[in-house]
Amino acid sequence: MSTKTSQIEVFEASRSRILFGSLLALVLAAAILVAFILPAEFNRDPLGVGGILGISGLSQMATISVETVNKEDTAFHQNSVSFELLPFEFVEYKYALREGSSMVYHWAVTETSNGEARSVSFDFHGESQDTEAQDSEAYVESYSEGEGGRESGTFIAPFEGIHGWFWANHGSKSVTVTLQTAGFYTKSLEFRDGFVKKQIMK
Amino acid sequence: MTEGSSTIAMRKPCSYSSGSIKHLLNAKLANLYLAVLLVFVSSWADAHDLSSANARFVEGLDGLAVIPYMYLGAKHMMTGYDHLLYLVGVVFFLRRLKDVVLYVSLFTLGHSITLMGGVLLEWHVNASLIDAIIGLSVAYKAFENMNGFKQVFGCVINPKVAVLLFGFFHGLGLATKLQDLSLSADSLVINMLSFNVGVEIGQALGLACIVMILGRWRQCNSFQKQAFVANTVLMSLGFLLAGYQLSAYWWA
Repeated sequence: MSTKTSQIEVFEASRSRILFGSLLALVLAAAILVAFILPAEFNRDPLGVGGILGISGLSQMATISVETVNKEDTAFHQNSVSFELLPFEFVEYKYALREGSSMVYHWAVTETSNGEARSVSFDFHGESQDTEAQDSEAYVESYSEGEGGRESGTFIAPFEGIHGWFWANHGSKSVTVTLQTAGFYTKSLEFRDGFVKKQIMK
Repeated sequence: MTEGSSTIAMRKPCSYSSGSIKHLLNAKLANLYLAVLLVFVSSWADAHDLSSANARFVEGLDGLAVIPYMYLGAKHMMTGYDHLLYLVGVVFFLRRLKDVVLYVSLFTLGHSITLMGGVLLEWHVNASLIDAIIGLSVAYKAFENMNGFKQVFGCVINPKVAVLLFGFFHGLGLATKLQDLSLSADSLVINMLSFNVGVEIGQALGLACIVMILGRWRQCNSFQKQAFVANTVLMSLGFLLAGYQLSAYWWA
């Protein structure tokens, strides 16, 4: 019991009560640790309680990163092609890309007027089939279209198929469109004046 | 049962006007102080580890930064529930201000030695392991408060020696936090001393709060009954802190 000599006032508790209290404290701490803290903080869930409560991996949010690296197993290609378009002429040039494969592109009209590149009509689009499709399941999707003298960007194919540009010269003078690409395409197709020129990329 | 029973008999129901606390501050002032303190502490809610924004701020400072380091020391102490829980254990049964000052001085001596020694001698101890020991110090103190060493093991470890020894470990924990801030070599000593002074300021503020609450609680008749349960809870929190930090050591 507390005495006059002791600065610390202690109370009389029986040995068994102290042992019981200490054990209770330990069990309580262990239970909270295993059931809540381990799943939520360290993504370890030995009892499965964290999964049931939906707290597993609560603190792992920061480590889930946006995919910044997209690995490819097809060959890497770099190409540069030019098309001369007379007034009212058009051309289509496409690459075959698998779903998720990517390319970096830049195209520009070489001729200028008043310091600015001449405009062409363009439509950057993709088709699920690589020839004139009779299949009803074939579909086309347009990514970027309009009038302009240049465009650059990064493209990740949303589906397997051929993806590329339609350019039309609506001006009164002939123009040259130069396309530069680098990416993981497997072949190119040029559609012009009713014929298709295929090139398998090695 | 000599003195203990008579004190219990003399206890009145909870009242703010009796007890030694009256001599420290009057009740209204104390209420105001508690309210202000709670606002501060809750506004720092997440912040036991000195946050990365703080770290970047002090890293951007060249040379002397007395006030920023002092502030960070105080902030670490007031939001560091492990240090505060240990202090709760230490002063739990200290009824006289003289004893509070004695024990807290020993604790301060201990943690100041290892805080400065650890930084100056560039000890890089593992922060998680040290924090686990700090957690265990809370459990130890609670067990001591239960009179567990005498009743269970039949021996008494001098509580003054224990508070000094655990002070060393708390100081090592403080050193790891300060080292996280990557102190610049010039004016290291002054900045470290500023941090240490801040720690003591934070400790004094936290301690005043703890002593006042405990002081009022002791005026209640139920204190004697609740004290054992309170120390059981304290011990459990200590084990929990230790378990958390050990998990961080193994898996984080």
